Amino acid sequence: MMRKSVAFLYNQKVAPYVFVLPFVLTFLIFFIYPVITTVQMSFQDILPGMVNNVGFKNYERLLGDRIFRTAVSNSILYTLWTLLLLIPFPLVFACMLNSRSMIARGFFKTSLFLPVVTSVVVAGTIFRLMFGEVNGSLMNTIRMFFGLGPIKWLRVRETGFAAMVLMACWRWTGVNMLYFLSGLKGVPPEMYESAEIDGANAWQKFRHISVPLVKPTIIYVLTISIYAGLAMFTESYMLWAGNNSPKNIGLTIVGYLYRQGWEQNRMGYASAVGLVLLVVAMAINLVQLRLTGVLGRERD
Amino acid sequence: MKRLAALVLVFAMVFVLALGGLASANPTKLTLWTFIHQHARFYQVMTEKWNELNPDRQVELEATVLPYDDMHNKLQIALQSGVGAPDMCDVEISRFPNFLQGVPQLMVLNDAFAPYVDDIVPSRLGIYSKDGNMYGAPTHVGATVAFYYVDILEDAGVDYRDIKTWDDFAEAGRKLKAVHPDKYMGIAETSAGWTITAMLAQQGSDLVSSDDQPQIDTPEMLRAVTVLQNMVAEGIITTCPDGQPDTEGGKGFLDQGNVAGVIMPQWFMSRYLDEIPSMNGKVAIAPVPVFEEGMPRSLGLGGTGTVVTLTASDQDLASAWLAYAKLSEEGNRMIWEDLGFDPCNTALWTETAMTHNPDNAYNQYFLNNVFDVLNEVKDEIVMIRSSSISPTINNYVTTVMLNELFEDMLDPAEVLEDAQYNIESQIF
Amino acid sequence: MEFYSRRNYSLVARIVMVAFFSILSLIVFMPFYAILLASFKPGEELIRYGLNLRFDWDLMSLANYRYLFTGITRTGAYIAHDYLLWFKNSVVLTVVQTVLTLLVSAWVGYGFAMYRFRGKNFLFTCVLLVLMIPFEILMLPMYSQASSMGLLDSIWGIMLPYLAHATTIFFFRQFLTSIPKDIVDAGRVDGASEYGIFFRVVVPLMKPAFSAMAILVGMNSWNNFLWPMLVLRSGQKYTLAIGLNTLLTPYGNNYDILIAGSCFSIIPVVILFLSAQKYFIDGMTMGSVKG
Repeated sequence: MMRKSVAFLYNQKVAPYVFVLPFVLTFLIFFIYPVITTVQMSFQDILPGMVNNVGFKNYERLLGDRIFRTAVSNSILYTLWTLLLLIPFPLVFACMLNSRSMIARGFFKTSLFLPVVTSVVVAGTIFRLMFGEVNGSLMNTIRMFFGLGPIKWLRVRETGFAAMVLMACWRWTGVNMLYFLSGLKGVPPEMYESAEIDGANAWQKFRHISVPLVKPTIIYVLTISIYAGLAMFTESYMLWAGNNSPKNIGLTIVGYLYRQGWEQNRMGYASAVGLVLLVVAMAINLVQLRLTGVLGRERD
Repeated sequence: MKRLAALVLVFAMVFVLALGGLASANPTKLTLWTFIHQHARFYQVMTEKWNELNPDRQVELEATVLPYDDMHNKLQIALQSGVGAPDMCDVEISRFPNFLQGVPQLMVLNDAFAPYVDDIVPSRLGIYSKDGNMYGAPTHVGATVAFYYVDILEDAGVDYRDIKTWDDFAEAGRKLKAVHPDKYMGIAETSAGWTITAMLAQQGSDLVSSDDQPQIDTPEMLRAVTVLQNMVAEGIITTCPDGQPDTEGGKGFLDQGNVAGVIMPQWFMSRYLDEIPSMNGKVAIAPVPVFEEGMPRSLGLGGTGTVVTLTASDQDLASAWLAYAKLSEEGNRMIWEDLGFDPCNTALWTETAMTHNPDNAYNQYFLNNVFDVLNEVKDEIVMIRSSSISPTINNYVTTVMLNELFEDMLDPAEVLEDAQYNIESQIF
Repeated sequence: MEFYSRRNYSLVARIVMVAFFSILSLIVFMPFYAILLASFKPGEELIRYGLNLRFDWDLMSLANYRYLFTGITRTGAYIAHDYLLWFKNSVVLTVVQTVLTLLVSAWVGYGFAMYRFRGKNFLFTCVLLVLMIPFEILMLPMYSQASSMGLLDSIWGIMLPYLAHATTIFFFRQFLTSIPKDIVDAGRVDGASEYGIFFRVVVPLMKPAFSAMAILVGMNSWNNFLWPMLVLRSGQKYTLAIGLNTLLTPYGNNYDILIAGSCFSIIPVVILFLSAQKYFIDGMTMGSVKG
């Protein structure tokens, strides 16, 4: 009996299932089950010691909730800004570093990359203090150097948001640059040379050779940036030392989920928030994956 | 066979009970979460006292200090899922309503509190109650007072005792500005509502109406925020780092001697002692200014209600210990002597041996005796309403509304209208 | 891209670019420098005057670091803190989680890469699905799940949901599809079992992939914040990220240890990164781009 079952496991037809088993278990226990529970909870009011079914009420409430709207617009705005800053600039930097007349490539690569190894907790603390409202904080010192008065960076919508985006740029520019550098490695130098013979200038080479050839990389970076942007939470949490930024400058969708579910104990409502985000994230990513062809290829 | 089993079972139970009786001399372990180090220290002291008085019901207290948000979030989820909660927990007043929703997963403490309730300010028990059941043991009254930095006021020729109304307060501020242009008369809070709530209470209003609705867009609120905003505009008062006095930034701001008057609950004096060393011997305590003389000059603010969870291992012992630690006369004495808070047993407020003890560190720090002030306003102390919608209101007021008023200086009427609308959109 | 070919090699362009990247690097280094400087100053100084680049010998001392490592404060008093414990917890968690995640994910990735079986495409689509959904959405039910499985307050609770890690599986599968199947078949001919082939033939071949992913998984684990914060309960088990966050209470001045502690926590990661930079960069770029 025992031997038989062992032999069964060693069967070449069975082995693949043994190999993928850990994933299947994780998928069922820590993905499917939580998703189903979230869907179920989003139709409930969950109070200590009692649960009521409320149908679509949580979703109706979401439609009328103005703070949720702030959270959604913050998340989208943050995502857009990170796309706008964290794709073109790293791409140009990568092209410059890739240029043959560049020296000390390794050093600059490393130094731009270094910020990402700091944890968000530490980076958030550094940026919170750098953007402090006291006169002596780094950013206010810089302002004063230019003859401007100190400002309360993290309390004003524009500057607070800028600090958040800047922190993302600080941490991720180097990473995205590396992605593009590896994409550029696949470009044969002869292509540039022949372009030069045809009289192409730097911009034309960038526009007509580099960009089209790193397009798959661009799409990949786009996908992970959208994902990371929509799911952003810890950055804001650390920058304001908590989930309650002034005027909800830094409130994101996940931050709102956290506030409702954990801080205000409305788990049903929080679940509805989560599902909205889930649907949005999945829709965007499916479109992305279709465009890159990853999904299509898997289906052979 | 069955009978034998039953017999064995009975024997086993008797044996266990007997063992339990014998073992009662061994301390029972109770777990408690709090978010303030000083509270943990206080509970240990009270445990020693309890063990002296109850040799047969010894307690071994394991008090864990967790960060504020983290602790409340974890307690909430632990009670929801029925696993992982401690035996007891400090719950901060603004979070308390969350735990009273639905069927509270907390012990009803009426019986345990019975020996002590007659001495305790009823409103402080009421704030942690639901449907006549008491769920939390209060720590202090939290009577709001004004703390004045006397030296710089004297420079400006102001006697803090003459400040009776907000007009006096503003006038003192103008005189201060003339002498110390870089100092401020007070703080306009943007991340807490101490002053705003006090100003509402003076006019008989509150953030929550008696039928549990948010009342933000009211004439009383408009009057309060207009007075404050005008003072901000005039440069008499200012917003501070981190948005309120009881923060790292706020205390640092006070320690630099920037502010002449701070409106805070009485318990803030413990923060002076611990974290604002430079003001030692320079601060006097007085009643809070009012709009018109005759209005109530104080209200109870802040606080923690300590609860016993339904999953506590020894509920009876935990409730008895808790009632003793926080509500007994000894406990109340310690709440003043060790923590520096105004105890809920207000009979003690007039016991001069305790209140005017010259060896007390709090008495030494301040220029006048806090209990003289407390006794003066004792009958005027109002209590705020706390309801299930309070967390939602507080969150909006302290993250959005006050910032729009005192940082962005937007039109008060519009801000209040907006606030009322936005808060209502979140309440269901 | 090449702005200039060898033929019209331009010194000016080189100078401009080096200057540009030097300035950029300086800006990037500024926060590091500021926090390093601050870690030698008293915490109150920081709260009152902010994080800045002022170099003030009179204020600066090793007192914060002494407190960090010995518990002896600026005033000479001994106040216990758990920083070193948090540090140890973080190291243990990172090492254990990295090793287990790599093994489990490679195991699964191998299954996807080397076999044809029913439901394979469906299951692999599931891997992609997990990749797409931010964990934060599911944290509430995942917490209850972990709680009902008795996983709270243990490092198993932190690790278990992530051992079969979708990104890592995806990466290993990509890597393994490039290995010729003949090697596996040769193993079969030699009489090795399916699992024997994995351990004896395939794992040694995966070394570059392992070292690349080790750093990514390790870095994520070292910096992980939200999930460990939900799972862990007792201060004795906190990791660095969570422990440092607990210092941000308004009660008591914790900035001495917060800043010195933050600063010191960067060091191991930076050393690890610098020493394994090559693998790291390869790893970042190997799996992702090829799709």
